[in-house]
Amino acid sequence: MNSIWPLVITLGYVAIAMAIGLMARAGHRMDTLEQWGVAGRSMGPVTLYLLIAAGSVSAYTFMGAPGWAYAKGVAVFYVAIYLAYLALVAWYFGPKVWQFGEQFGHVTQASAIADRYQSPALGALAAMVMAVGSIAYAVLQTIGSAYILFVMSGGAIPIWLGVIIVLACIAVYLYISGQRAIGRTNAFQGALMLVVAWAVGLWALNSATGGLDMGALFARLQAENPEFLTLPGAGGDMSFSFWTTSIIVSMFSFMPPVWTQWMCASSARTIRRSATWLPTYYVVILPMVVVGFIGIYSLPDLVRADTVALEYAMAHLPVLLVGLLGAGTLAASMSSSEPFIHSVSLTTAKDVLQPLFKLSDAFTAKLARWLLLPIMALVIAPLAIAEPGSLVMILLVGLGFASQVLPAFIGMFFWPRASKLGVMAGIVAGFVVTVAFTTLWKHPLGIHAGFWGLLLNLPVFVAVSLITPAVEASVVERFFRIAAPRGFARPGTHQERAKMSATTTR
Amino acid sequence: MRHPFVLPTSRAGWGLLIAFVVCVLAGIWPVIGLFNRAALLFGLPLLIVWSYVIIFACVGVMLVGNRIVEGDGHE
Repeated sequence: MNSIWPLVITLGYVAIAMAIGLMARAGHRMDTLEQWGVAGRSMGPVTLYLLIAAGSVSAYTFMGAPGWAYAKGVAVFYVAIYLAYLALVAWYFGPKVWQFGEQFGHVTQASAIADRYQSPALGALAAMVMAVGSIAYAVLQTIGSAYILFVMSGGAIPIWLGVIIVLACIAVYLYISGQRAIGRTNAFQGALMLVVAWAVGLWALNSATGGLDMGALFARLQAENPEFLTLPGAGGDMSFSFWTTSIIVSMFSFMPPVWTQWMCASSARTIRRSATWLPTYYVVILPMVVVGFIGIYSLPDLVRADTVALEYAMAHLPVLLVGLLGAGTLAASMSSSEPFIHSVSLTTAKDVLQPLFKLSDAFTAKLARWLLLPIMALVIAPLAIAEPGSLVMILLVGLGFASQVLPAFIGMFFWPRASKLGVMAGIVAGFVVTVAFTTLWKHPLGIHAGFWGLLLNLPVFVAVSLITPAVEASVVERFFRIAAPRGFARPGTHQERAKMSATTTR
Repeated sequence: MRHPFVLPTSRAGWGLLIAFVVCVLAGIWPVIGLFNRAALLFGLPLLIVWSYVIIFACVGVMLVGNRIVEGDGHE
């Protein structure tokens, strides 16, 4: 492919995203964490819908998902299912998190943890370890972005230069407009991805089958390669147990940027309305998955499965669509990396450095913005350029840890008796198991390492909580006035309210 | 019992919790095993059709949930 148009279209997208990000500030002062961190809690339902949807639909949708369809088959749909479950999670927890933030002034997940357990140390620990997973995720997305620029430019923009271009754009508008930039650019990126995915998918289907009937494609698969239509998939590695535990672990991984996005809503009701319709966005996966299935017969000898959509587009689609695919994939990776970069900067300043050095709120707000630069220049850019082979491992461990923070949330939303030491013990026990079963003995019995971690984590959390001092009653009462506005029902009884004072006695 | 848990406090709340749990169970083993066949429905693989049933069922449950939560004025 020698046309310059795909690169022009892709760079045109970058320019538009940059302009939207810069204009998102709209005269607001960005000198407080309320503004820079959570956009003054001002986002309406449509922006929030696209913000969360685009943030969760990463480059995976345009590269990984078609690649999985190409290599494994329908097993890829576990992603669509767990994303729908994440909407259920957002529907229930999002409004409560928003109220915590609005009433107690939280702007990060770690702030909420520190406040609930009256432990800045626990908050800092959660912030730092969550940052490992967040950075690994941002690096992977940045590599995806640079790869798109490399392909669209026919190799003229090397990976290192692509990394710098993408990070520089994100840095400028994140510094200037903060969470407002993420909201507006994600809204644009989310709409773009939806259009591009369907345009590319339908065009590819038409070029491959001579029509828009997916049935012909799947009928051929059914006749010639039925293993692509069932679990454990063509690769034989997506067993029922791995499918199930992957969904459960992913569902309970409360990633910090998502928590922050919930707090950006203009009201609790806004979150509920956005979450309700969120699963409908994930129809975006279907057309891109179809491209992967088409590739099974059109591109049978691909070395890298995750390039199937790009390779097919460059071989069979008009340059306009190739450019749009480049722009859509870049949008997907940028919209996923920028919330994580923002979140790491925000939580490092607020939950690690502020309590450590007793910084003022005003200085912490400045620091959070400036931290973007060293995080991008000294951590994300070098890692993205070096493309370390262990990065996926770091990400898996990081995400495994994210699910191990579950006890902190159980104590925040369901169980007043949870103690600081119980949470810490559960997290440490679960993390050790997750690391061991991710690195040394990978996913024993075909069960996700994070799930094994939870199997130890939760009993340890409960046992240690019951034998260690509970958190101060007034703090617990403050949280559970929101988490349980109608009081408590006790196990085995119905509609029964309990006195909060009784909940915190040992 | 001195250490209560947060559980639904009304029939509607329990109904909603059960609907949430049913949605989740529908997407994992053993239920998913019932749809693990190389069959086509409406021209799509059965597992993909079932995935979309789950996705839209989640939307339906949340729509009902909105009516319950907003109907009694409880945020």
